Amino acid sequence: MTTAARTGAEEDVQRRIPDVAALISALDRNDYLADVGLATALFLAVRLPQPILLEGEAGVGKTEAAKALAQLLDTPLYRLQCYEGIDAGEALYEWNHQRQLLGIRLAEVRDASVTETDLYSPEYLLRRPLLQAIEHPGPRPAVLLLDEIDRADAEFEAFTFELLAEAAVTIPELGTIRATHPPIVILTSNRTRDLHDALTRRCLYHWIDYPGPERIAEIVRRRVPASSGQLALQAAAVITKLRTLDLAKAPGISEAIDWVSALAVLGIGQIDATTAEQTLGAVVKNRDDLELVGARGAEWLVAGTGG
Amino acid sequence: MAGTLQPAAAALPAVESASLAAAFVTALRRAGLSCSPDRAVRLAEALRLIPPSDAGKLYWACRVVLVSSREQLPVFDAVFSAVFRGGFDPAARSGSPAAAAAPPPGGPEQARTRPSPAEDRAPGQAPPQARTAPAVASAGPDGGDRNTPGREAVLAMASTEERLHQMSFAQLSDAEVREIRRLASRLLLATPRRLSRRTRKSEHSSARLDVRATVRAARRSGTDTTRLLYARRREQRRKLVMLCDVSGSMEPYARVFVSLLQGAVATAGAEAFVFSTRLTRLTRQLALRDPDEALARAAEAAPDWAGGTRIAESIRHFVDEHGRRGVARGAVVVIFSDGWAQEDPAQVAAQMARLRRLAHRIIWVNPRKSAPGYQPLAGGMAAAMPYCDAFVSGHNYTALAEVASAIRGNGQPLRKERGNS
Repeated sequence: MTTAARTGAEEDVQRRIPDVAALISALDRNDYLADVGLATALFLAVRLPQPILLEGEAGVGKTEAAKALAQLLDTPLYRLQCYEGIDAGEALYEWNHQRQLLGIRLAEVRDASVTETDLYSPEYLLRRPLLQAIEHPGPRPAVLLLDEIDRADAEFEAFTFELLAEAAVTIPELGTIRATHPPIVILTSNRTRDLHDALTRRCLYHWIDYPGPERIAEIVRRRVPASSGQLALQAAAVITKLRTLDLAKAPGISEAIDWVSALAVLGIGQIDATTAEQTLGAVVKNRDDLELVGARGAEWLVAGTGG
Repeated sequence: MAGTLQPAAAALPAVESASLAAAFVTALRRAGLSCSPDRAVRLAEALRLIPPSDAGKLYWACRVVLVSSREQLPVFDAVFSAVFRGGFDPAARSGSPAAAAAPPPGGPEQARTRPSPAEDRAPGQAPPQARTAPAVASAGPDGGDRNTPGREAVLAMASTEERLHQMSFAQLSDAEVREIRRLASRLLLATPRRLSRRTRKSEHSSARLDVRATVRAARRSGTDTTRLLYARRREQRRKLVMLCDVSGSMEPYARVFVSLLQGAVATAGAEAFVFSTRLTRLTRQLALRDPDEALARAAEAAPDWAGGTRIAESIRHFVDEHGRRGVARGAVVVIFSDGWAQEDPAQVAAQMARLRRLAHRIIWVNPRKSAPGYQPLAGGMAAAMPYCDAFVSGHNYTALAEVASAIRGNGQPLRKERGNS
């Protein structure tokens, strides 16, 4: 079994994540609740290993999943937030030119000599997330999160993948840096454009569904320890109800967390029509939506949610 | 030890997981999902890591490895439950390769309606499925001259088909429609420019000083900074989004407009959608190089072609699923529709207002505008008017020039109440 065609994950990682069930409980210990689908996806991403593309509504915990995975592996998370026009200088590395100039001037003042190798030594190198993830010395691979890859240009997408497939970077002045522990790669996308086929072909894929009220309540309880369990359940029920309305911006898990935090700060232990109306701004963040909810009335909102 | 052994009966031997993977991938391919053979290899590896001791484990391992977008999930689920009879039902527990090797599902409806992979079919040849598509899909093989070097066909170009250019699309014969469609797909559409986040080198000192580039240049010539380099923001064309009404009342025009959409997707990188009772994204289908094939695929993908109209619902769907994510932000949005809908005009107005807040410009193309004495008073159209930057007819080939000009941004600024009509 150990002589697979591909190397698979390193032994240390294998020991930490022996199977899907172990990954679920390890994520749970890091306060991240994953269902079996997401856990399977992350498990395969780590163990095959293979980059994984996570998609889902805003606020279902795509970024959090990467953070929790890094935490449980006790390894750094390098995050690259993609945007239009991002280039290698911002993603991979860049020479710190200002410091190099300063170095030259200082050398002149001190009558010291400066050679080109002095100026292009690692101390003048600005390491960006991709290089940091590849350079990571171990003992376990780093987690590299390429957030919202769909915002970057298609060329950048191709460049990144070429680099990750090689797991090596060549800097002309320094030589080739090869990864001793190739990073675990997690990509997220908001589907603003079709990703290139070459990328989807190389990636595992998981669509994160919006969780049910019990799971939302459980997440809220974890994230807002100050809140009572009853309050979290109630808030989750109201938010699930709000999602049945045809809202322009349907509230997500982050809204549930914000709302329960707000209620906890205000010292409110139970949601009723009045308190719901007062604090609705933490949940519904669009004027049209507020009108729509207002038309239904706060009574409808809290009815049957244990309030 | 954490790594307890799986029950021996549950873990499939490596050979069996490989044949299971291969058989399932083949079934998916027959149902129209693009699954390359290397996915089967990956699945076999995944099944070695996650022994499929129950249907849930098998399902998730297969899904994570084989699916590559949310849209594929319904087909995948259908094929999975057909192949492994019983889906999540633990009683079925049929990880048996015998089930996987069985012939592909004859059942799942979704699988049937999906187009089969392109390579299974000669180019330009009709797909094997029966099509319900109307005129747009019926072009013969005579479009063979489409490689003529007339890519930049200019509108003003005097041609022997002067008469054709002035005729309303509704009055054209099938052969003439074919000719017009060929011309329409060659129209060059260009959106106005905006500043992008990218920069390019500039000689003008009015631009921002680019320290990095300056130092890099200095390094080549010596250590002293001799020449200052500047960077200015590069300009980029705005995104172009086209929504075409393909309901029954629009049919004579839609067959030409869809060709225009196809040209826009191919040459201007536009996003294309059609709607009647519901919205369908056609960018992928129209991106094919062969226009007839592209239109046939488009007709397949939008099964409600030539049905009723639900404008507000379609715009709402567009904004929710595509526009807000970024497709419509700062974009030029072109809507081809006669504005006849069986909906509450207030709904149309509300959805247009949402679109208005995202888009840079909204252009409404309504072929009925050419009719003498036409006033945009019909419910939906009247409700949408206040949110449009330009209102043009586009009913014949010459009128398409107005559409192109409105997209470029030289149209009458309708909303500012200037101009004479």
